[in-house]
Amino acid sequence: MANTLRPYLTCIRNTLTAAMCIQNFPCQEVERHNKPEVEFKTSPELLLNPVLISRNEAEKCLIETSINSLRISIKVKQADELENILAKKFLRFLSMRAESFEVLRRKPVQGYDISFLITNFHIEEMYKHKLIDFVVAFMEDIDKEISELKLSVNTRGRLVATEYLRQFL
Amino acid sequence: MAVVASHQLAQSITAHAWNATLTMIAVCPNNNEVHIYKGTPAPDSVWEKAFVLQKHDQLVSGIDWAPISDYIVTCSHDRNSYVWSFDGTQWQPTLVILRLNRAAISVDWSPKENKFVVGSGAKSVCVCFYEAENNWWVSKIIRKKHNSTVTGVAWHPNNLLIATTSTDSKCRVFSAYIKGVDSKINPGTAFADTKFGEQLIQLDLANGWSFGVKWSPSGSSLAYVGHDSTLHIASNIGPTPSHQTINLRHLPLRDILFLSETRLVGGGFDCNPMLFEIDPKRGIWTFVKFVDEAKSSTHDLKSSTLFLEAMGRFHGQTRRGSHEIFETSRASGLAHDNCITCIVPLISAGEVNGEEPAEKVVQAFSTSGVDGKLVIWSFSNITELLAKLQI
Repeated sequence: MANTLRPYLTCIRNTLTAAMCIQNFPCQEVERHNKPEVEFKTSPELLLNPVLISRNEAEKCLIETSINSLRISIKVKQADELENILAKKFLRFLSMRAESFEVLRRKPVQGYDISFLITNFHIEEMYKHKLIDFVVAFMEDIDKEISELKLSVNTRGRLVATEYLRQFL
Repeated sequence: MAVVASHQLAQSITAHAWNATLTMIAVCPNNNEVHIYKGTPAPDSVWEKAFVLQKHDQLVSGIDWAPISDYIVTCSHDRNSYVWSFDGTQWQPTLVILRLNRAAISVDWSPKENKFVVGSGAKSVCVCFYEAENNWWVSKIIRKKHNSTVTGVAWHPNNLLIATTSTDSKCRVFSAYIKGVDSKINPGTAFADTKFGEQLIQLDLANGWSFGVKWSPSGSSLAYVGHDSTLHIASNIGPTPSHQTINLRHLPLRDILFLSETRLVGGGFDCNPMLFEIDPKRGIWTFVKFVDEAKSSTHDLKSSTLFLEAMGRFHGQTRRGSHEIFETSRASGLAHDNCITCIVPLISAGEVNGEEPAEKVVQAFSTSGVDGKLVIWSFSNITELLAKLQI
């Protein structure tokens, strides 16, 4: 499994390196505004072609770029119902604390589990390579985290069941 | 080899400009102010903040310092532009009637300094000139041709033509002849019988947004960059220009500078200025090399990063989300560690006033970027190095 994860993450890393060429750009539709073009999509010439990187049907990553912002949306692997519930709960927990992550989008893009929104202001105050590391490490950790959660849920379930059934012995 | 001095002036720098004698520098530290420092490009020079120009109320996006008249022109995202003149103690702003309803992006003084041009997010270009009776600068606007924000503007050395780049990926050349301001054009020159605002050339070579247009010192060729990692050079500017495109393997460039007729540098998202040169025999531009060399060699990289990793873990995971466990892409060890957005030639006043038709060669230039550093580069020994390369 790890051997397919590596090229997937490497591909995302390289795409992000190329996509993170963003700069300050004032809005050309609304006076005195400056907003992420990738969210508003008011001028089609300021958007680049979105890139979709899929590892398999369940796991994919969409990278949308514009002149001053980019959006990374991730779909996390959910093999069964338990993983589905765990992923949903866990990512909701993160999304609700989006402001402390700075680059996390409060609501994921439709069809995805979690989205990041990186603007030129983030690039100005953070290192680009660290930002990319953060996104890639996040993707790596999220799978690990969910399988750990799943294990602990199963362990706990078994324990509870054993304790409960012991009274009938 | 080429870095003379590096100054960390702010968190991020949007633009900078030198005065004629290279003793003062105007810098915008990514906010609504312009800071003027006293200092020279020399390596041991200590830079002191001398003045702060506060008149804009949004990000200042462009600065240009006129060498002869000593005026500074600034433009900003708040749709305004000011011309600053020094009265002995303070810098006094003069209003510019831009009549724009979107942000101003870039600004450039004309070679004779009687006009300047402002590119804007209103998909238009303003050519501004001074009106003595009202004591302000008025503008004439070229509205029609651009389909998107104008990202870069540059004057032809003949004071009559301007080149623009835009996010609609095209580069255009316009006539900026203003009756009453400019003397009559010699009928012999190219584009002699043109009206103000007429589009003379349109180059559609890039597949992405185009930036950073510049004319060569003689004005016979012009170059600009595309966001699809390309550099475009058009020569024989006239009715039938010829052009060449260089596709780069690296991240896109943002700004370029002609060092001479045969050599130019570009800076961009690779954080490392790139040198291009024309092959004299075939007349084709080629990428020569990166100007900066990474300081850390690969040999001691391993041990040092292991140590850094351990140290990083001691310091705890920083707020910026650094996972040292994962194989991380590393800091480059270059003079700049974020995108280079502005390249300015360092020409001291004597050379400019000489006005020799002979080819001017820029020996040094300064770059600034999103990382807030201002780096001065010198090319004094570049010819030797190139000679070595050819052997």
